Amino acid sequence: MRGISMTQKVKPKKRLERFDMISNIIITFFAILNLFPLYWLLTSSLKNSSDVVKMPPDWFPTTITFSNYIEVFKSQPALRWTYNSLFVSGVSTVLVIIVGAMAAYAFSKINFKGKNIIFVIFISSLMIPKEIMIVPLFRIVQDFGMVNSLNGMIWPNVATAFGVFLLKGFFDSTPDALREAARIDGAGEWRTFMQIMLPIVKPGIGALFILNFVQVWNDYLWQMVIGQEKTMKTLMVGTATLMQDLNPNFAYKMAGATVAAIPMLIIFILFQRYFTQGITAGAVKE
Amino acid sequence: MRLRGNAFKENITGYLFIFPQMLIFLLFLVYPILEGIRLSMYQINYQSEKFVGFDNYITLFSDPIFFKALINTVIFVVFIVLLTVGFALFVAASVFDKNARYVSFIRGSYYIPVMVSMVVMSMVWSFLLNPANGLISYFAQEAGFGYVNLLGNSKSVMPVIIFVTFATNVGQAIILYIAAMIGVPKDLFEAAEVDGANRWHVITKILIPSVRPSTLYITIINIIAVLKIFVVIQLLTGGGPNNSSVTLMYYLYNNAFKFNQLGTASAVGVIMFLITLLLSVPQLRSMIKQK
Repeated sequence: MRGISMTQKVKPKKRLERFDMISNIIITFFAILNLFPLYWLLTSSLKNSSDVVKMPPDWFPTTITFSNYIEVFKSQPALRWTYNSLFVSGVSTVLVIIVGAMAAYAFSKINFKGKNIIFVIFISSLMIPKEIMIVPLFRIVQDFGMVNSLNGMIWPNVATAFGVFLLKGFFDSTPDALREAARIDGAGEWRTFMQIMLPIVKPGIGALFILNFVQVWNDYLWQMVIGQEKTMKTLMVGTATLMQDLNPNFAYKMAGATVAAIPMLIIFILFQRYFTQGITAGAVKE
Repeated sequence: MRLRGNAFKENITGYLFIFPQMLIFLLFLVYPILEGIRLSMYQINYQSEKFVGFDNYITLFSDPIFFKALINTVIFVVFIVLLTVGFALFVAASVFDKNARYVSFIRGSYYIPVMVSMVVMSMVWSFLLNPANGLISYFAQEAGFGYVNLLGNSKSVMPVIIFVTFATNVGQAIILYIAAMIGVPKDLFEAAEVDGANRWHVITKILIPSVRPSTLYITIINIIAVLKIFVVIQLLTGGGPNNSSVTLMYYLYNNAFKFNQLGTASAVGVIMFLITLLLSVPQLRSMIKQK
């Protein structure tokens, strides 16, 4: 009850700041709490098999060991998984950028018949996740002989409309006069696209690269279904199999999860600015 | 005015530029959707297919596990989306006008779990919640609750999954809201300050109405993301205990790749496709109007 009489005494201006301050204290507290599982992941992966399950727990690892990491790379084809993930994410993203930029440029700048209706139909698929069509998609990929191949993991990622949607926004904001001028100077459409327009939308391509790369890297269900052999798994799928691994050592499982987490952590720390840019560029503009 | 030959050339150029994207789109998205609708009316046994009309759908709607999956998915969608939108609004409204380093700290610490992925986060949570040697179970024991197995209990499994999914994914909504709120014109706040409005008024009367397009976008992308919730179910519970955490996507996956019921699985896919399409209509409408 004392709290109420106290808030009544302070001026409205003061009370407002207190509300703000309490909110921010709560938010900061949760922000740190939200990082705790990652702290626990990292420190557990550095403990030995008996320390990791010790109760009461060691808040800081007392004996630091890298044996779990060595074990992960020795007993699992983790390097191969990493390569697979890099390849699938990298190639998917490059393809998304190439075909997406071409289509986005056409939808933005070229006047061709049926443009609007094609665009609307295409963009309607923006929200449809490929996973819900996993049965027919799997059969098609099977018909192409791409089960257990990285190709099979890549192509469905290129079908999504997100790249076109994002890049079209960037092309839309470039002046039409630029293209006209290039055309008058005798540059063909392809040269105009490659040499004039693409360099201008570089920030958009950067944002798309990061967003798409991360998205494919963290994709799971489709890669799991396609990469069935042990050596054809991606890092996420392979790491998840450690959960069912006969090795009961939790530190070993956590080391695997850390290996899967580190590349994305590095990317995030290096490119944080692009993330904010890319995510918001993909959203509605106010 | 362009010459007719020019317009023709322009058409051809346009089609050539969109051709690769459209080909891949037709092959790996449109065709699977149509094929999925067709397959949902067949009984499939390896190479043999038999037309059965709507039998697969009838089978589905008489399967109590399908209903369980449907209800669970709806519960997940409702609670996770409400929590995400509510909490992200609260965070963004509280931090967006603070200094840049603080904003980027908040943004980063909520977004990092999104980056490291649901797979990694599910693995950590499965360790934390492990009844024998997990940290949370240890705390529960210390607090006098005795032996607890939150994921093995049909009463607690749903709230736990809701919390884990929410905590892992809320970062994206926070980033979107902060960006939207930074974009709200400053004079609106100044006018409010002159009128003597407090923080609460500013949030409810200015901020929340100004970011309505973002709210729509965040709600829809989150509904669709939760609709296909799978990883956390597979890695934490396997749909258990006793199917109490089974979801549509998990049900679909099991039917397709474990029980070899491709027709039934396709029918689930078609139902999910229709729900997704329906949900994305308002967003698509606003996007098309925008251009």
